[in-house]
Amino acid sequence: MIPLSHFLTVSAILFSIGLYAVLSKKNAILVLVGVELMINAAALNLVAFGRYDGKQYEGQIFALFVIVLAAAAVAVALAIILSVYNHYKSINPDDINNLKD
Amino acid sequence: MDQLSPSSLAVYLAMLVLLAPFGSFLLSALSGKKMKSGWPATIAIILSLIASVILFFSVWNKEDVHQGFTWFTIGQHRFELGVWLNNLTVLMLLLVCLIALPVHIYSAVYMKGDEGIHRYWLFLSLFCFAMLGLVMASSLLTMYIGWELVGFSSYLLIGFWYTRDAAVRANKKAFLINRIGDLGFLIGIALLYGQFGTLDLNALFGADGLIGQASIDSQWWRYGNHSLPVMWLSIAGLAFFLGAMAKSAQFPFHIWLPDAMEGPTSVSSLIHAATMVAAGVFMLVRVSPLFSSEVLLIIACIGAFTAFMAASIALTQNDIKKTLAFSTVSQLGFMMAAIGIGQFGVAIFHLVTHAFFKCLLFLSAGAVIHEMHHLKTAHGLDIDPQDIQNMGGLRKYMPKTFFLTIIGAISLAGLPLTAGYLSKDAILIYAFEWAEIRSSVALLIPLTLLLSSALTAFYIARLVFKVFYGKLRLNGTSVDYHPHEAPKGMWYPMAFLACASFFFCYSYNPLVFEEAWPLNGFPRIEQMERMNIYHTVIPALVNSIAILGVFIAWRWYAQQKYPLSARGGLYRFSFAQWHLDHVYSKLIVKPLLFLSDLLYGFDRRVVDGFVDLWSGITRRLSVLAAWLDQYVVDAFINRIAQLAFVMGGVFRGSRQGKVQHYLLGMFLIFFIVMLLGLKFL
Repeated sequence: MIPLSHFLTVSAILFSIGLYAVLSKKNAILVLVGVELMINAAALNLVAFGRYDGKQYEGQIFALFVIVLAAAAVAVALAIILSVYNHYKSINPDDINNLKD
Repeated sequence: MDQLSPSSLAVYLAMLVLLAPFGSFLLSALSGKKMKSGWPATIAIILSLIASVILFFSVWNKEDVHQGFTWFTIGQHRFELGVWLNNLTVLMLLLVCLIALPVHIYSAVYMKGDEGIHRYWLFLSLFCFAMLGLVMASSLLTMYIGWELVGFSSYLLIGFWYTRDAAVRANKKAFLINRIGDLGFLIGIALLYGQFGTLDLNALFGADGLIGQASIDSQWWRYGNHSLPVMWLSIAGLAFFLGAMAKSAQFPFHIWLPDAMEGPTSVSSLIHAATMVAAGVFMLVRVSPLFSSEVLLIIACIGAFTAFMAASIALTQNDIKKTLAFSTVSQLGFMMAAIGIGQFGVAIFHLVTHAFFKCLLFLSAGAVIHEMHHLKTAHGLDIDPQDIQNMGGLRKYMPKTFFLTIIGAISLAGLPLTAGYLSKDAILIYAFEWAEIRSSVALLIPLTLLLSSALTAFYIARLVFKVFYGKLRLNGTSVDYHPHEAPKGMWYPMAFLACASFFFCYSYNPLVFEEAWPLNGFPRIEQMERMNIYHTVIPALVNSIAILGVFIAWRWYAQQKYPLSARGGLYRFSFAQWHLDHVYSKLIVKPLLFLSDLLYGFDRRVVDGFVDLWSGITRRLSVLAAWLDQYVVDAFINRIAQLAFVMGGVFRGSRQGKVQHYLLGMFLIFFIVMLLGLKFL
């Protein structure tokens, strides 16, 4: 059987890749992709820990919720990006700096 | 309906006499430069004259009128405003109006075309108002107000041509010297008020006045429970006399009167005849019960000395008006001497007769000056129109003026048939009688007066001969000038005054003054039994001396047989007016100027220096404070502000509006917190 630490390692790598994408990408879509990666890392953790709860499968159920909510969040986020694009004619996060000063 | 009692009618008339000139004054004051005509002033004085004639006949030798109301009250002391009409008052009222009316008519011609004519009528009305108010005042307080107003309006009139330097100096001189006298008058009033607690003239000096009720023992002057050392009685008398000395131009305060000739001639005639200088004599007669025998003696001495001094100065003056001015001073000396020998009625009598003939002489002089001035402007001559050395022979050109001047001159000289004869003889005879019952030294006073009377005859004859006889000295070889007679508006008033200079206005008998009616209005004070010898010898003596004087003058001036050198010491002494102006300048003006220079220097150096020092120190200190403020306090604040600015710049640099940077920051901080949390928990 695959030990728990493998899952956690994969999950941590996945989270770090997502974080990197969020912090460094110059395209809002890719930032959103990074956010999805981080959510999936969290879901992976939930599922990995859920294995130790043999009766109620709470981890798996939370993972399902996370996936559903992530889908919904992506829908909303894409709508916001579209709206931002309409306003700024750009989806580069560096250009959206109206709060500066 | 209320019945008008005679006395209340008299009060109304007195108000009319007083308020008519005042109304004219107000009218002129309100209409300003538009009031070129002299009619309001003249009509006002005619009204005053009519009212004072009625007053005269209703009061003269009848009951006195004394009415007034409380003007104001200070604590327990009431001060009254009112009139006191007795013989003296109504006689003076009549005199003032009778002199003022011809002067007003004369002025209308004399002053015609003057730029300041509106001011002239304004001041003239004020002058008459002031004098009338002074005369009819019922208390010393109101009398003093009139007294000051007379001084003030004479100041205005003497300086009427205020663009002339000499006029401005003359009116300042007159005013300053009169202030000295005013001080004396005020001290006298204060002394009387302190002693008797009232200023009412009737209560003080009336028939049974408080002055008479006060008792005098060897040391104290007592009234009621007030008592003063008896010396103060004399001091009070002298204080009043000081006032009269300045106002009536007695030595040593006479110096303002000749300088006052800078005013218009018509004003001079008014000042010299009835208003200004008469006020002093009038005031002394009013307060006469006050004088102790020592004070009377001083008054007599000063009067006699002034009479002689002024007459001697008048001998050599070349300015026609100056001669007449010194003549007035001299005649005022006669009046003072009359007061000094206790003959108050005689003093007033001489005041009245002198008023008419001196006014006449001044108006004649004005006519002559008017013609000389006319010649000067018509031919562009460079002459002084008042200098008698330029005149001569005017008798041919101005016969009426000549004739009228002669009348004034013989009246002044005191020749028979004139008014001057009556009054001057009265003074001289009483003076000799007065000296008779005293020591032989007292004889000096009548003798001085006699000598002055002889000098009077000489100098007035000199004036007449130099002006009207001989040839017009202006006429050289080439040009002939032809002066003209004075216009009617000028010689009619003069003719009226000439009529009043004859004996028949005063007495039926041309030779004996005792029948003169003005004398009968005053209590007659006989020194002793009538000494017939004086009453015959003295008039004869006076007249022979006068005729001798006139004859000498005729020889010297009319016939040009002048024996004296103009460089003689006595001549120069007289011509320089006894050097009195010089003496005053040395003794009083110079030290005063020196003192003021000293004080000015003290003020500049010490007082100003001290203030300057303080201001210098303050300025240094404030410079220091400013430096501190700028370079220490401000600098500190500025550094802090700069620090904040720099820090702001530093911190702002990291805020680029980059969302991912913020996110990174958040993550790092979260990360650090988590690490620290792991470590410490």
